[in-house]
Amino acid sequence: MIPPSANVPSPTAEPPVAQSPQGQSPLAQSPLAQSPLAQSPLAQSPLAQSPLAQSPKALWATRIIGIAAAVGVAFTVWLGLWITPPDKTQGDLVRLVYLHPAVAWVALYLAFGLAAVASLLYLWPRTRSLFWDRLAAAAVEVGVVFNVCTLISGSIWGRPTWGVYWTWDARLTSTALLLILFLGYLALRRVPADPEVRAKRCAFAALFAAVDVPIVHFSVLWWKTLHQGATVLNPDLSPQIHGSMAWTLLLGFVALTLVFFWMLLVRYRIGYLQDRVGTGELDTAIRQRQAEGVVPAAGSEAPASPVSVGSRLTSVAAPAESPPAESPPAETQPAEAQPISGVVR
Amino acid sequence: MNYVIAGYSIVLGLLFLYTVQLIWRRRRLNRLVALAQSDPAADQRAEDGP
Repeated sequence: MIPPSANVPSPTAEPPVAQSPQGQSPLAQSPLAQSPLAQSPLAQSPLAQSPLAQSPKALWATRIIGIAAAVGVAFTVWLGLWITPPDKTQGDLVRLVYLHPAVAWVALYLAFGLAAVASLLYLWPRTRSLFWDRLAAAAVEVGVVFNVCTLISGSIWGRPTWGVYWTWDARLTSTALLLILFLGYLALRRVPADPEVRAKRCAFAALFAAVDVPIVHFSVLWWKTLHQGATVLNPDLSPQIHGSMAWTLLLGFVALTLVFFWMLLVRYRIGYLQDRVGTGELDTAIRQRQAEGVVPAAGSEAPASPVSVGSRLTSVAAPAESPPAESPPAETQPAEAQPISGVVR
Repeated sequence: MNYVIAGYSIVLGLLFLYTVQLIWRRRRLNRLVALAQSDPAADQRAEDGP
């Protein structure tokens, strides 16, 4: 594990980037920066160096977006529950319209749409970078939360209007299927693998799951459903809502869009830090093994760390003899694998 | 109106809980990275004193 430190920086403080006398920053000399994942070509790309996660501007933007989102949500709730009038037919139940379509918009179109685009950009050779993989993962996780909110708010609205919390309606069923598909995506991300392998298969999974998004959208047109069709963005582009209700609805969309982008930025940074901490723990464990004499030290002729970097379940091979210089990569050579206790999280 | 209150409470409550969880995860990871990047030799000197 990571050794305790006497001078622990504050949790929110950014790591220092001071220059050492040798002209190289401590960050560049740290085990994290020298880990195999940090030195992989994908991680070295400009995008993967993550302006979203590191730059002070991004951190300030995150704060400003967060404050704007909180204010926007507060105003939406105030207008939606107290200021706007009840509907002629639905009465007070119409107040759910300021919440339910907005969370559905974020989940379906923003989150899962962004995940599909990011996955596509990852798979495209010219734009391949771990940045897109992390962005897709962040978007999917936030999207799953909003998808759950969509299903819950829809069910609560359905009970007084349709008489049931749930029915196997086309819109509801396809939305539930979407949730299951993206839960599968999140499960796939937890399967131990090399980061690049994981990113590739998750990108394919996201594209596969995103096929359901247009099905959800057009389900009210393709099948006879209980769910109503588009009210604002209908084919005629003539919104059938007006006055204070329309403005509150619009504010709800803007506020929850801001909430989404705030969550996306924070979740992206978490993914970025997880990659760094994961490899840091791995290197610490390897050094412990090297100190025990199980693994040859770095710089010796034998491969120092034939491990699957970034995986949660990691083993270190202990070769009995040093392989010849032209031998294939160490991962392909079976050897006695010894699990490292403390690396598995 | 009870359904409306329930809908707002559950949805906003879920989003709030997820927000708290995100902040907690970010703080924990920031702390771990800061610990991992601290110089062990400097830490030892700090513990030993001048």
